[in-house]
Amino acid sequence: MTDDLDPVAIERSARERLATAADEAALRAIEREYLDKGGVIAGLLAAIPTVEPARRRDLGQAANRLKAAVQEGLAARREQLRQDRLSAELAAADFDPTLPGARLRTGSLHPLTQVRRQVEDIFLSMGYRIEDGPEVELDYYNFQALNIPVDHPSREEQDTFYCDREHRLVMRTQTSPVQIRAMERLVPPFRLIAPGRVFRNEAQDATHEHTFHQVEGLAVGFGVHVGHLTYTLRSFLEALFGRPTEVRLRPGYFPFVEPGFEFDMACSFCGGRGCRVCKQSGWIEFCGCGMVHRRVLEAGFAGRTDVDVAALTGFAFGFGLDRLTMSRYGIDDLRHFFGGDLRFLEQF
Amino acid sequence: MKLSFRWLGRHVDLSGVTPQELVRRLSLHVAEVDGLEPFAPHLAQVTVGHVLERAPHPDADKLGVCRVDLGAGEPLQIVCGAANVAAGQRVAVATVGTTLPGDFKIKRAKIRGVESVGMICSLRELALGDSHEGIWVLPGEPAVGAPVAEALELDDWVLEIDNKSITHRADLWGHRGLAREVAALFGRELRPLDTSLPPTGPGRSLPVRIDTAGCSRYLALALEGVRVEPSPFWLQALLLAVGQRPIDLLVDVSNFVMLDLGQPNHLFDRRRLGASIEVRNARSGETLTTLDGAVRELLPDDLLICSEDRAVGLAGVMGGEASAVAPDTSELVLEVANFHGPSVRRTAARLGARTDASARFEKSLDPTLVPAAAGHLVRTLAAIQPSLRLPARPTDEGTWTDPTRSIELAGEQVRRLLGVDLDDGAIAAALERLDFGVSRAGGKFTVRVPSFRAVKDITTPEDLIEEVGRTVGYAAIPGAKLMAEVAPPPRDARRELVRQLQDRLAGAAAFHEAPGYSFVPDPLLRATRTEALPHVQVVNPLTEGESRVRRSVVPSLLARLAPNLRQRSEVRLFEIGKGYLPECADAHGAPGEVHELGLCLAAPRPAEGARFDAGAAARLRGVLLDLLGAVGVHEPAVAGAGGELPGWAHPARAVRFTAAAPGGEPQDLGLLATLDPRVARELEVDADTAVAALSLDALLRCERRVRPYRPVPRFQGLKLDVAFAAPEATPAGSLLALIEAAGKGLLQSVELFDVYRGPNLPPGSKSLAFHLLLQSADRTLEEADQRKFLERLDRAAAAQGLELRRE
Repeated sequence: MTDDLDPVAIERSARERLATAADEAALRAIEREYLDKGGVIAGLLAAIPTVEPARRRDLGQAANRLKAAVQEGLAARREQLRQDRLSAELAAADFDPTLPGARLRTGSLHPLTQVRRQVEDIFLSMGYRIEDGPEVELDYYNFQALNIPVDHPSREEQDTFYCDREHRLVMRTQTSPVQIRAMERLVPPFRLIAPGRVFRNEAQDATHEHTFHQVEGLAVGFGVHVGHLTYTLRSFLEALFGRPTEVRLRPGYFPFVEPGFEFDMACSFCGGRGCRVCKQSGWIEFCGCGMVHRRVLEAGFAGRTDVDVAALTGFAFGFGLDRLTMSRYGIDDLRHFFGGDLRFLEQF
Repeated sequence: MKLSFRWLGRHVDLSGVTPQELVRRLSLHVAEVDGLEPFAPHLAQVTVGHVLERAPHPDADKLGVCRVDLGAGEPLQIVCGAANVAAGQRVAVATVGTTLPGDFKIKRAKIRGVESVGMICSLRELALGDSHEGIWVLPGEPAVGAPVAEALELDDWVLEIDNKSITHRADLWGHRGLAREVAALFGRELRPLDTSLPPTGPGRSLPVRIDTAGCSRYLALALEGVRVEPSPFWLQALLLAVGQRPIDLLVDVSNFVMLDLGQPNHLFDRRRLGASIEVRNARSGETLTTLDGAVRELLPDDLLICSEDRAVGLAGVMGGEASAVAPDTSELVLEVANFHGPSVRRTAARLGARTDASARFEKSLDPTLVPAAAGHLVRTLAAIQPSLRLPARPTDEGTWTDPTRSIELAGEQVRRLLGVDLDDGAIAAALERLDFGVSRAGGKFTVRVPSFRAVKDITTPEDLIEEVGRTVGYAAIPGAKLMAEVAPPPRDARRELVRQLQDRLAGAAAFHEAPGYSFVPDPLLRATRTEALPHVQVVNPLTEGESRVRRSVVPSLLARLAPNLRQRSEVRLFEIGKGYLPECADAHGAPGEVHELGLCLAAPRPAEGARFDAGAAARLRGVLLDLLGAVGVHEPAVAGAGGELPGWAHPARAVRFTAAAPGGEPQDLGLLATLDPRVARELEVDADTAVAALSLDALLRCERRVRPYRPVPRFQGLKLDVAFAAPEATPAGSLLALIEAAGKGLLQSVELFDVYRGPNLPPGSKSLAFHLLLQSADRTLEEADQRKFLERLDRAAAAQGLELRRE
């Protein structure tokens, strides 16, 4: 009797093969070799008539046992391999927690836009409307109606860009002209802010720009007073910085307000004790402000029969957006804002 | 403006007040203080020495070897090269280890073999003057061994007041005016100052004629018996502290009076004046050489001081060179006048000659200050040179009036505007402390404004309320909520639109916001072929060639491409900004304003055989369609752009976006184009670049709506692909229309996915392939539906000479 007709030898060899089969392909090969038509077991069955009759029955039974054993062995080995794979997956030997993720490429909003939006949202929540005005402005709105007549000394200090020889048209030096434009259209009481670009004929360096950004504020109504101004600005700053903020008023001079103030906030770097940032004063200048000058109210509401100007008072303020933005992100050079360098822009 | 702490102390007792406390109070109650610095702090390290002996240096003719007593210890041996050093002098000695201005450290040295420990200083070495002619021989007999600062009363502090914060306060442009505030702040007395004129002789006064409205008062006074000599040291020290260079006694006293009272004045050499003085406007073409040697060309707006019709001074700005005080003079004419502020300001600004005098006149000075300044100057000079005589009474001409005025004020007005509960007594007291006269009747005050505040400064009740507020202190005002009926602010369509666009672009579209300047350089306008358009132009630009105000945000965006492309291969930038069109000016001359979104996308050119929509223009088109959909413009018409195009647009690769407007003409939303290759070359942009400019104004005018929800399909659809072989000139749009028509309402979506040109097509043709989805809302489509659709499509294609190919 040769080995290929010996069920015991066949089974031993099949078990050995199964034990070392490492994957599904190997199992499939074994399956084909033993169980397919023309496979080893089929060969065994086909050989039955060739053996002596007395052994035929035994051989037939042995072949069927062998078939069942191979089938079981295959199933068991399959399950074993599945378990091995699951264990390997759970063991996660290839897992590297420091491997970087795929980078999501998005664009960016300019840091000034981001801070400006935050400022707008705070004032919107306080009932302020947001107004806009032209950057190329009439002298009337930029100066005259703001109580800065043609010969006023403070014109000298504004370093104005003029757009014509007659000086009727200027690049606005402040956002304050929006005050007049708003008064011409709106019915008091109202409150507004007007963010936008302003221009000064100044040489550029890390802290000076000929183009920068202001936010004008104006509240006009009946019985508006200095206490309302400080409360409003303080509330705004506390919302912006998310913490209580000490503030103070000092005398300041701006022709379109009377009384006029400089508005300071406690230095956030030293908590008011004095440091390099606040030049040891404990305070940082935040903005100029004051009670709207009577002559400005009279100019803004001139010819309005629906408005009793004499009964109105108001406050106004104007602060810079650039410095707020610089201090938020620690930007040390104003020129980045208009530089258009993606290495700067994509950081925001 | 610089103030000397010591100088203030001449007018008000500052004992017990530190300079820091003074600055704090001035900041809170008066004006912005920009800085506080000790004056010449190194003088505290320099010691008064007594030169005991000066022996010749054994090896150098020009050097001397001095023995100098410093009060304590052994006298020092100091080698000194000055010719004027001599035994018996008091000198300023910098000992070894002292650092002088300019980081000049004194070290032990051997000079030509002789040991020298320390240095005898010149004024220049101590930063007290320009004189380097020898060492500084200290005036008087200061205590040997004491610090020079202390011995000569040079220990001082310099306050820097922010000029802008006192633009309205002509009275604060001199030490006495600020001292008046300080006296009020600290509750101390302002020391009296005798400004009366000493007795004058019986001589004939100099006739003065005023022929202009620009001069309201002119006082001329002859002075005799004066000498040109250096000023006494106390005077030099005060001037040095506030940054003025001492010149000679006459110039110094003139400056001293200006810086003390805030009233400029001028001294003429009597011998160089004629028999009379006239004040008039200049004549066209007239010139004057001023003290600084400049020849000034004058205009009729300029005010002139003349003598016998010859110009001798530019009123309020600068004296004339020809009438300047010569070193040998003993006779002077003093001018103290009140000139029209705006005229002086205009002249000084036009001639670029802003002086300490013009800066004061332009604030509009109090005319009653004129005789006081004259008296102060004469008395100051006479105290130094008792030989001074006044041969004749002053001439005091002019039509000036005392500006003193009264203003009615109610206590209630003060309380209402400040928002603080002050009683009438406190209000009156606050005003009286500042020399306002207050009379009360009921709750009303009549406030008399003193002349030094009355010219332009205090004219309304609010001006007085400010005085009360700052005197009481703004810290006393409690914060108060501004209560009002508040409705939500009106919707601001433009702001909402801007935010939507910005968010969409910065998000999925991955564009970066890159705002540009409002000024566009001329070379950039040329490079972008837009220089021929009219621009608003600034007449005084910061930089030559950067005077134009932009019409569009696109050129500045394009300028950013090349620098960024040097760092990376793909650049996507946008800006939403304003442009100004002078040709659309309104009745007042203000230019038309437009709001624009500019976008540019620069990327490497697509590889051969890349998909038809891999290029920058196709990608940007996709961005624009998404963007427009996001703001409610769902199916804008996009068509090849003809006619006039912006200079940067490729003349043949441009499309225009239009959209319907409610009840009006369709709106031209803007343009998308490939960058003109000539512009690309000029700007050194070597990339596939597409540019778009959308008008926000047009977008706001056109119909924007929320697209209604489409039901989610309940029945299975049929997906199929079709392709057409078509002549090269066939636009994809016509095939889309064909498919749309054949769909008969069953076409759920269609997408062009391939444009093919190649060997298995007839020459001059292309193949366009589409993914289609047919779907019905009420039944499952069957084989027959697809067959019928294809038959319709086939017929329609054949009718146009196109070949439909199923794939």
